Formats: sequence, structure tokens, C-alpha cells
Amino acid sequence: MKGHATKLIEVTEKHADRIAAQWLGDVRVNPKTPSYHRFSDEKALSHAVAFYRSFRTLFSAEKPFDAAQRFFTKYADERYSEGIPLHEAIYALILMRRHIWLYAEFQALFVSTVEHQQAAESLTRTILMFDYATYVITERYEALMKRETEERFRRESGAGGRRQAAGPPPK
Amino acid sequence: MQAVATKLIDVTEANAERIARQWFADVRKNPKTPSYHNLSEDRAIPQAVDFYTKFRGVFAAKNPFEEARRVYTKYADESYRYGIPLHEAIYALTLMRRHIWLYAEFQALFISAVEQQQAVESLNRTILLFDYATYVITDRYQELMRGEVDKQLSALRALGMEDSFTGSKVGIMACLLVACGFLTYYYHAVMASGVIFTHLFYIPIVLAGVWWRKRGIGVAALLGLILIVSHLIFMKEVPLTDDLIRAIMFIVVSSVVALLAEGFSRIEVLYRTAPHAGASVET
Repeated sequence: MKGHATKLIEVTEKHADRIAAQWLGDVRVNPKTPSYHRFSDEKALSHAVAFYRSFRTLFSAEKPFDAAQRFFTKYADERYSEGIPLHEAIYALILMRRHIWLYAEFQALFVSTVEHQQAAESLTRTILMFDYATYVITERYEALMKRETEERFRRESGAGGRRQAAGPPPK
Repeated sequence: MQAVATKLIDVTEANAERIARQWFADVRKNPKTPSYHNLSEDRAIPQAVDFYTKFRGVFAAKNPFEEARRVYTKYADESYRYGIPLHEAIYALTLMRRHIWLYAEFQALFISAVEQQQAVESLNRTILLFDYATYVITDRYQELMRGEVDKQLSALRALGMEDSFTGSKVGIMACLLVACGFLTYYYHAVMASGVIFTHLFYIPIVLAGVWWRKRGIGVAALLGLILIVSHLIFMKEVPLTDDLIRAIMFIVVSSVVALLAEGFSRIEVLYRTAPHAGASVET
């Protein structure tokens, strides 16, 4: 797997900007990612480029879950602070994965039978990484939602008396 | 793809119960699915069996997203009802997928080079379905969370008549105040009695507190004033102490209700603007 993985990683790293641009073209019009339709190009591209540049670390990590936890916790924190709903943040990531493979297919990276076998192994490894990614992002979003709600409650109860004098909070 | 897909589907369907049991043994001890450690077999196994028996329908659907939406919405509803957190529900589904492939490998379903190639295609199709499943389940969970909050707050909103026309609240309150005024006159002037009819005054007092919060205290103050003035006019010979205490209690009760109503209102606003409600994007 090592040889083939290196090939895939190298193509992904080398063409990170191009793959990211293709991904952006997709999320911009995909009905499942409406939040990205209004997102600035620069910001959205940075999400994808960061992922593609970290692909080697994630792919070849000895402890893939720990590596995924580190990277995707940050990914979740950033998307959450940008106001992207959970299902869209995950779907945008799924599209990032698909665009790696679309690009690899476009570059005819896997032609021979042996390469096909290696592609299957690489695919399995990528899927494992994404299983972990989905788990980490979902769990992180839940924790962030909980924390934000608790903080709001605390803030509200602290400022409750003052707020009451000023009328009901804005809707 | 059709042949190998049929092979995979046939094996999955024929051994649904067995694969489901293997999956259950996994989620039972997997550290990423702690909610399943205490989930009864009666609940978990049928969910997995249902998933494996519906695998053909989703796998071979012409419109896989629509079919995935139908099947996985049900999965999300059930998991939510069982109190399983979203990340665990998704991970459990991921394990269901893995167990299909573990079983297929165990059965040595894909051996030749052609079968291996078909396996890749089947894997791709399965992954596509799971991408949709993740999207559908995540979306549905957020919807269910919003629905639950709405349900919990609906009783309060019904009492607060927040969806009603403001004029109807004023009309109801005016009627209640007239009735209270009439009661006061009747008991003080006609019956010349201080019998406790003022219990009925708490109806408009509580409603005013719920509807208008602090401004509702004005209604309590007005009723207290009516009671005291009426007492001074019609029952001069009776000490004022009892009615004075009643008027003070009107204000106290009204203030407590207003505070509670404001608290509930803030909670509702917090939930409405909470991130799970599908926050708008800041670009």
C-alpha cells in the first residue's frame, strides 16, 4: 500500500490548490451545502487546501484516530465558528474526499490490475479516515453546541436583572 | 456491477440476522458507542436487521438519495427515541457497513481479479449510500432536536397566547377586570361581606404576568386599588387589614409570575438562537 499511497498523497499535495478549486465549484452549487453558496472564495478554499495539505499526515498516521481527532476537531471548531450547520460541514468534507478520487481518476492514476488492487486498499484507508472524521466532527459539534448554550444561560442569568429592565431580548 | 452487487446483497439479506448479531457484539463493547452498551438486544438487533434487509432497496435505487432519505430518516428517528447521541448513531451505522464487508470477506466473496474490480465498484456504491446516510441522519437529528424544544415550549406558548392577536388579550383582560370590579361591588356594597371572593382575582393577575411580564403587575395594582377603594367606600366599619394584605399579595404573586414568565421567555430565545437550530452563515 505504501507505494500507491505515496502516489495518491503526492498528487493530492501537489495539486491541492487545483483540487480545492474543483471542490469549491461543487459546494458552490450543491443543494446539500447551501451555506457555502454565500461563503467567500478565499475562506472556503482555505478549508479545502488545509485538508489536502494535511492528507499525508492523516493518511499515513500510525494512530489514525488520534490524527483524525487532532485535525478534525480544529476543522469542527472553525466551521462551527463560521456558522456552518453540522450536516453541511460533514457533506463538504465528503465532497473533499470525492474530489481527491475524481482528480486521481482524471489523472489516470490507477490503470493496471495491481494498481486497481492498491486503489481498493487506498480507498479503504481513506474511508476509515472519514469514518473517524465524521465521528470526531459530530461529537465536537455536539460539545460546542452544549457549551455555547450553557454559556448563554450563564450570561443570561448574570445579566438577567439588567436585561429585564430593558425589555425582552431581541428575537 | 449488477452481478457482484446482487451477490453482496444476497449474502447480506440471507444472513441479516447473523451479521446484525456480529454488529451488536461490536457496538456492545466499542468505546465509541457507549450508549449501545446498555441498549437491549430487542431494540438494537431489529434495527440492524431492518438495515440489512433494506440494503437491496437502497443499493439498487434509481434515486439513491431519495431512498436513503426514506430509510435513514427512520433510523435517525429510532436512534433519537432511544436516546443515542448523534455521533454514536452515525458510528453504529458505520459499523453496520463494516460488518457487511467483514462478512463478505469472511465468505470469500471476491477472489478473482474481476471480482476484486467489482468489489471496488460495490464499495464505491456503498460509500455513496453512507455519505447520503450521514447527511440525512445529521440533518434529521437537528430537526428532531428543534422539534423537541418546540414541543416542550408549546405549553408555555399556548398559555402565553403568543400566536394570538394582541387585541384578544386586551379584550379578555378587560372582561376579567370588569367581572372583578362587579364582584367587589357586589360583595362589599350589596352583601356587605369580606368573604374571600378575591381568589378569583388571581386569574387575571396570573394571565397578565404571563402575557405582559412586568407590565402585568399594573393589573395587580389596579385590582388591589379597586379592592381597597371599594372597602373604604362600602365597608368603613370593618378594619382594612385583610384587604390590604390581599392587595399586597396580588403584587407579590404578580411579580413572581412576571419573573418566571421572563425567565421562560429568555430560555425560549436561547433555544431558538441555539446553534442546533441551523444557524445562518456569517460570511
